[in-house]
Amino acid sequence: MPERIPEQRQSFASRFLKPQYVMVYATVGIFILIYIYGAVRFGSIGFTTLRTFINMFKDNAYYGISAVGMTLVLITGGIDLSVASVACLTGMIVAYGTTVLGFHPAVCMLVALIVGVGLGVLQGAAIHYLNVPPFITTLAGNFLARGVCSLISRESISVSHPMIDALAGWKWYFKKYVDGEWVKIKPIAFINVNLFVFIVMIIIGTIILQKTKFGRNIYAIGGNEQSAKLMGLPVAKTKIMVYGFNGLCSVIAGFAYLLEVKSGWNLALNGGELEAITCAVIGGTLLTGGVGYMVGTLFGVLLKSVIPALITFNGNLLSWWGKIATGGLLALFIVIQRIVVTTSERNKSKKKEAT
Amino acid sequence: MKKKSFNLSGVMQSKITWAVVAELLILLVCFIIRPDFFSIKYQPATGMLYGSLIDILNRSAEITIIAMGMTLVIALGGTDLSVGSLVALSGALALKFLRWDVLVYNTPGDYTVKPFILVILVPLAVCTLMGMFNGFMISRIGMQPIIATLILMVCGRGIAQIVTNGKQFTTLYSPFRVIGQGSLFFLPMPIIITAVVVIGVSLFVRKTAFGTMVESVGINPSASRLSGIDSKKIIMIVFALTAFLSAISGLITASRVMSNDSNNFGINFEMDAILAVVIGGTNMSGGKFSLAGTVIGSIIIRTIVTFVYYFGIVSEATMAFKALIIIVVIVLQSEPVRKKMSKFGKKKVTGGVQHA
Amino acid sequence: MPDHSLLEMKGIEIEFPGVKALDKVDFSVNAGEIHALLGENGAGKSTLIKCLTGVHHMDAGTILFDGKEIRPTSPQEAFSMGISTVYQEINLCPNLTVAENIFVGRQPMKGGMINWKEINRRAKELMSRFHMDIDVTRPLNNYSTAIQQMVSIARAVDIDAKILILDEPTSSLDDNEVQLLFNVMRELKAEGMGIIFITHFLDQIFAVSDRMTILRNGTLVGTYNTTDITKLQLVTLMIGKDIDVIFNLKRAHVDPNAPEMLRTENLGTPGQIQNVNLSMKKGELLGFAGLLGSGRTETAELIFGAVPATEGTEDINGKRVSIKKPLDAIKAKLAFCPEDRKRDGIIGDLSIRENIALALQARRGFLHPISRQEQNELADKYIKLLSIATPDAEKKIGDLSGGNQQKVILARWMATQPDLLILDEPTRGIDVGAKAEIQRLMLEMCNDGVSVIFISSELEEIIRCSNRIIVMRDGKKVGEVKGEECTQQTLLSIIAEGEQEGASA
Repeated sequence: MPERIPEQRQSFASRFLKPQYVMVYATVGIFILIYIYGAVRFGSIGFTTLRTFINMFKDNAYYGISAVGMTLVLITGGIDLSVASVACLTGMIVAYGTTVLGFHPAVCMLVALIVGVGLGVLQGAAIHYLNVPPFITTLAGNFLARGVCSLISRESISVSHPMIDALAGWKWYFKKYVDGEWVKIKPIAFINVNLFVFIVMIIIGTIILQKTKFGRNIYAIGGNEQSAKLMGLPVAKTKIMVYGFNGLCSVIAGFAYLLEVKSGWNLALNGGELEAITCAVIGGTLLTGGVGYMVGTLFGVLLKSVIPALITFNGNLLSWWGKIATGGLLALFIVIQRIVVTTSERNKSKKKEAT
Repeated sequence: MKKKSFNLSGVMQSKITWAVVAELLILLVCFIIRPDFFSIKYQPATGMLYGSLIDILNRSAEITIIAMGMTLVIALGGTDLSVGSLVALSGALALKFLRWDVLVYNTPGDYTVKPFILVILVPLAVCTLMGMFNGFMISRIGMQPIIATLILMVCGRGIAQIVTNGKQFTTLYSPFRVIGQGSLFFLPMPIIITAVVVIGVSLFVRKTAFGTMVESVGINPSASRLSGIDSKKIIMIVFALTAFLSAISGLITASRVMSNDSNNFGINFEMDAILAVVIGGTNMSGGKFSLAGTVIGSIIIRTIVTFVYYFGIVSEATMAFKALIIIVVIVLQSEPVRKKMSKFGKKKVTGGVQHA
Repeated sequence: MPDHSLLEMKGIEIEFPGVKALDKVDFSVNAGEIHALLGENGAGKSTLIKCLTGVHHMDAGTILFDGKEIRPTSPQEAFSMGISTVYQEINLCPNLTVAENIFVGRQPMKGGMINWKEINRRAKELMSRFHMDIDVTRPLNNYSTAIQQMVSIARAVDIDAKILILDEPTSSLDDNEVQLLFNVMRELKAEGMGIIFITHFLDQIFAVSDRMTILRNGTLVGTYNTTDITKLQLVTLMIGKDIDVIFNLKRAHVDPNAPEMLRTENLGTPGQIQNVNLSMKKGELLGFAGLLGSGRTETAELIFGAVPATEGTEDINGKRVSIKKPLDAIKAKLAFCPEDRKRDGIIGDLSIRENIALALQARRGFLHPISRQEQNELADKYIKLLSIATPDAEKKIGDLSGGNQQKVILARWMATQPDLLILDEPTRGIDVGAKAEIQRLMLEMCNDGVSVIFISSELEEIIRCSNRIIVMRDGKKVGEVKGEECTQQTLLSIIAEGEQEGASA
């Protein structure tokens, strides 16, 4: 009886070098390389301070929050182009509701939540039941939300409310213990609400993806929707919930943006959906679905913000180099993804020959 | 009898029918609200015809031109997101050559590089090369079109800014003005250019076997390969053509304002072009396409915009109207609904046959 | 063995447009039994299974499962009743780990969160029960098809399936892997599971099954105990001797001095098929016989460049050619009607006219279009010549019946006026009339000087038409006979036993 043990190649290295993590390693690796480069070049003028590091997160926190939801959508093999418009709509609703209509911002926030999540759920339902490509469905959602923004107001509406001011002003300073008392470190570095929410969202996203059935169903659908159906997984419900959750993320991102600029403007965050998608993709999420990690997205956001930081520190380079570098990174990552996919396919066929 | 019944259900199912009906309905609404919507006047001063309808055709030129290429891309089962960035790049390149004086010699004066034709040819050539890069990534490396073109979408505007050192120029050079603001046969030049492009692409696609091959690859790549169709070449040509058309569109955009603006030229053009194609009845999943449908789709989009301007509705609200149109169109075109519709159509027809 | 059947299907009937796919078929499986379901392509095996798993809805008949009547409407429903299917193409998620594929959708939870430790532990246990000591935390697509299949089975077993359907599970496995699978099957059988085993490999049926049911053309041939039947009897039953209609067909005459049309020497691609040595004369009809998976199709694909050859040589009409892709082959006047008409043949949404002109157009290149008038003439000519049943040439090919689609594909290749036409199962799944017409056309073409390679599972038609027949098994040529001297009996025995044994028998 041929009792053989196939595929026994568990070495120490292979436990960490699992192919599913390669993309995340690439993101982290490239980030570290760029960071080291920055540290060597601009370390003397403060590139390595905690403040610079924290700022990298902080300035892109709202894109990061949106990227959390986008990662989930991309893992199912879908795409959502409506996120920036929904975020903008959130800002408009809160600004208009608070400043013009005089409601409490919390009430406006609730309305925005219902609108954003509702739109997401509708999009998910259209994608699943009407079989309309996600690209087109969410493009319609994008136009719709942006159009409604303009219907609300074409002028920028500034917001001033104690609650908003309090939230926007909240800071948690990094301190160190010197001579029996806590003093703020220099240069001053602090966490604000946006950064805090971003980190919380990353944690929530990680838990959803790794620790819940809902999250695992997302991966299964992205891997092979037909199989997922045959395995008896709730495909319709999962897809609709994913788009609903992404709507929620867009609303939170919109609120975060509002805290940053303290006004609502109908053209705000134009093209922001691409920023969110880019963060997810350079974080190792496959646009074809089935693969992606929250940690990757976190580093994707970092990687995307380290470039403008470098450009600022350089001082001579103009800002559009950031776009080109991002595009280059994107190209690099997509090519790496292709190579990873094709080599794993090749390995498999080689294995087949060998047996 | 049999043939007729087949045709009727064919018309019910045909997607271009819905696009035409939609356009007519919108125009009807315009007519009811303001009968003078349709008036066209001749202005001897510029030698051009004026009127809302002319304006619709004129202003839809950029999208119509790009959408010609986008139709083929979508027929192949792909999407090209880079067209908007290429419009910006094309504009930037044209202005660079028009303002060579400032850029290179740093002395404002002589307006442009000679010969003028370079101002046209260089943007066309560079953008076509960019399109070939897209095609290469897709056909040789094997990327999904949406991903491959995302790269250029993200960094295309950056390249455009490098071309002009991030500066915005204006020019007064009159030959360049002709492209976007001139006229021919009493019609604005963009309409003429659009007509030439539409006719040219239609002839290329339908008078050669190119269109059939595009459809064939879009419907069944495996069977197409076994029948000897070189799909890599087809993909390459389609993406290069789309980029070439984007460059033309970029020249028109730049000529309209006699300036370049890498941040705002061609914004959302990719979305509008895809929208025009989808409204025109070409399915996002590839296969049979209709260039005529796309032209109508593009006109529908512009009609809505004009409608909104004309009746003094907040201009940015056009977005919401566009969304409504997409929603109606995608619901009508979606598989479950279409199946029901065609059943309905057939039922009606068989009923008719029994009567006869 | 219990005296009542675990599963009993009675009088199953189903009709597809134009074809009676199953006609009063009875089928039963006992608990603790491996039951082989046999028949050539189009015999109705997969249709029967699809009725059982709720993919198709039968027109008549009853299914008793565990004594109760059931009528599943979807695979999920059948699955929840305890009927699991493991398909040839894996229906799992390639991106998930082995462990997760077994447990997704019903993960053990701990404190509201997925208990990964438990999942991995139980998966490891389950896999080692199947003698597979693999790393269950790696994604599924890291592993070979054999292991993926085991994972499918493990999932079914863990869900407490009572009936396990294995649809051609062994076609991509090597001998060792097959043995491993058989061990698992025997263990499951011992635990009382009823296993339906669909395969084309005769040896395997005798190695593992207890009973077998044979279908032919949608009807039941019979159910037999494996011990009561010989291999030769089995092949005879599967292929059948019913020569439905005797057509007045004469084999093509080949001039012994005719020039050599095709010659291949050691043609092959590592990992696919290798050492293909063929020689064909102009106007010859060469039959490829053998069961599915014997290498018939692979050989044809190699000659045509659908799978490019990396070694060996190919000469056409005495000239050395290098064929890297189908277009090269078409330029060298080769033509190939593939086996899977839907996937590799028709362009569903295009018209008959466009489908007919496609290959000729591809050879010319798109810049030299075939004019509309020429296309119409071509289409009309072939619609008439092949009697394609359609109101006009503008009808979508996707709307035609299988036989007519096949004729359109044939027309596509005839329009290129090939020197060598390869037909892979051109008569599969089409009605008798169309079958006869396609055979007649083949022979006419041979008489006009075209060489034809004809691949078929039906021995009767292959013997009737071929000048020479090459018999293949397991990717190798195992025999060659002249058409005139061949009887079904000799061909059957070569397929079953190989030439030497067949000759000695």
